[in-house]
Amino acid sequence: MKKKRTASRILKYLVLVIIMLFLMFPLYWVILTSFKSNMEAYMYPPTMIAKNPSVQSYVKLFRQNAEFFIYYRNNFIVSGITAFVTTFCAILAGYALSRFHYHWNSVVSGVLYASQMFPVVSRMISLYGLLGKVHLLNTLTGLILALIAAMVPFTTMLMSSFFDSIPVDIEEAAKIDGASRVQTMTSVVLPLVKPGLVSVLIYAFLMTWDDYLHCATLIQSDSLRTLSTGVALRYLGELSYDWSLVNTISVVAMLPMILIFFFFQKYMIKGLVAGAVKG
Amino acid sequence: MNGRTRRVSQRSQMTQKKRDLGFSLLLLLPAVVITTIFILVPVVDSVRESFLDYKMKNIISGRPGEWNHFANYIKLAANAKLGPAIVHTFLFCLVVVLFQFVFGMALALVLNSDIKGARFLRSIMMMPWCVPTVISALTWMWLFQPQYGFMRWFTGIVTGGRVMDLALLNNPSTALSGIAIAALWKQIPLTTLLLLSGLQNVPDSIEEAAIMDGANAWNRFFKITLPYMKSVIKVVLSMAIIENFKQFPLIWTMTGGGPDNSTTTLAILSYREAFVSNNLGSGAAVTTVWMLLMIVVVIVFNKLMGDNQTT
Repeated sequence: MKKKRTASRILKYLVLVIIMLFLMFPLYWVILTSFKSNMEAYMYPPTMIAKNPSVQSYVKLFRQNAEFFIYYRNNFIVSGITAFVTTFCAILAGYALSRFHYHWNSVVSGVLYASQMFPVVSRMISLYGLLGKVHLLNTLTGLILALIAAMVPFTTMLMSSFFDSIPVDIEEAAKIDGASRVQTMTSVVLPLVKPGLVSVLIYAFLMTWDDYLHCATLIQSDSLRTLSTGVALRYLGELSYDWSLVNTISVVAMLPMILIFFFFQKYMIKGLVAGAVKG
Repeated sequence: MNGRTRRVSQRSQMTQKKRDLGFSLLLLLPAVVITTIFILVPVVDSVRESFLDYKMKNIISGRPGEWNHFANYIKLAANAKLGPAIVHTFLFCLVVVLFQFVFGMALALVLNSDIKGARFLRSIMMMPWCVPTVISALTWMWLFQPQYGFMRWFTGIVTGGRVMDLALLNNPSTALSGIAIAALWKQIPLTTLLLLSGLQNVPDSIEEAAIMDGANAWNRFFKITLPYMKSVIKVVLSMAIIENFKQFPLIWTMTGGGPDNSTTTLAILSYREAFVSNNLGSGAAVTTVWMLLMIVVVIVFNKLMGDNQTT
């Protein structure tokens, strides 16, 4: 019996170490390569720690690659606006779905659920023509609108599940005290779902930060591109890769997301779990 | 209560109801309008375009597409593009979802046990999930790099020198598995997190009772834990299926659909037809087939998991 327990303990730690190594090692490798000189990055067999750690590729990125920071800035603009507008729409619609029970509620939820499944390319094929007609092609406005639409369905359902967890009695009490509908919503219910609200906001930001297809199809000018598309199109030449630079870019591009995640971790984990368990 | 006040209160109830209705519609309006304009209309429109001779030059010249008697579909089938793309999509999706679930569950079980630093491990394991997809593609391209890549060296050591020149992404028979590894890396964290929360909802008392009854760990897992987690598992699997069925940036960045079309999924094929070959009608035909397949997958999935919708 005791032997069996030790065996299962060993198995447990083995599983843990293997999966954690699989998840963590690539990050270490990227960071390591970003601090290697180009000479060392192209060494085989590879070195496990940087022999002469250098920040030359960071300097190179900051000095010579101004466009990278334009993509970076664009991405903050696009993701920021998208996250805020999405959250706004999700609060309103989520509240309506949670509090009023009309027969079309199930239709709206069904449509929202289904619209997450449509392939992005099919929307882009049509939007390319439609946005072209109203002169929104190759504009950040067009890109942001398309991204908001991509985010609204899931976030609305998430928001509605957060509202579901707030008892209706609280609102009744506020109503008796003479608060208007909008007042009840904004000053009574909204503060109670603040954690949910934050998680929706961060979720929308992270997901749009990750966008590639919307930007690749709807934006043509280099100066309007966001990070993923800009990086993929500019730094991935067919013939030569400057791997130290690429790894440096990777570190700088993933950093804000990881920081945001750790900073808002409590909300994020709660929100993601709530979305999955309820939605 | 006399007749008059009753009438008044009825009337105020009526207006109350009407106001509720108006308020609810007003709240729904922004979300409904934006989803309709930017999702529903384009999706329907793309189905229409799949039956048209509709290319980039139509957009430039403003000439509407012309009905072309299913030529888009016929051509795709005749050029043997559609078949392999469907196979690759299903293969990729199946493999990734399967491994994602197994590894995610394994890690969740370990983190749910009495292990030291479980909370810390849970939070740092989420890091790959935060990495943008294109960046995770770059990360794995660098690890798989054929000359200087870490994996070339690593497999050489692990296999005792039998596999000396691993170039996963450059070989048509292994390229898809290389992408699958990158997809697993990014997706296992979220799966683990969700399964872990499901595990924490399994009441301890039942587990303990089962231990008292002498059920072994294996039996406890399959007879108690899994059934208890059914709704979480269903959500985790359906999210994974949708995500991998739609996967585009990872594949596009890592291989662009190559080598020799061995990683051309429906997502890659539709993008290439529409935005590289500039044949929007043909791309729309691919996405239409894709949507039909997605519907079939969802129906089959719901049948398999049982139709107990919780909402």
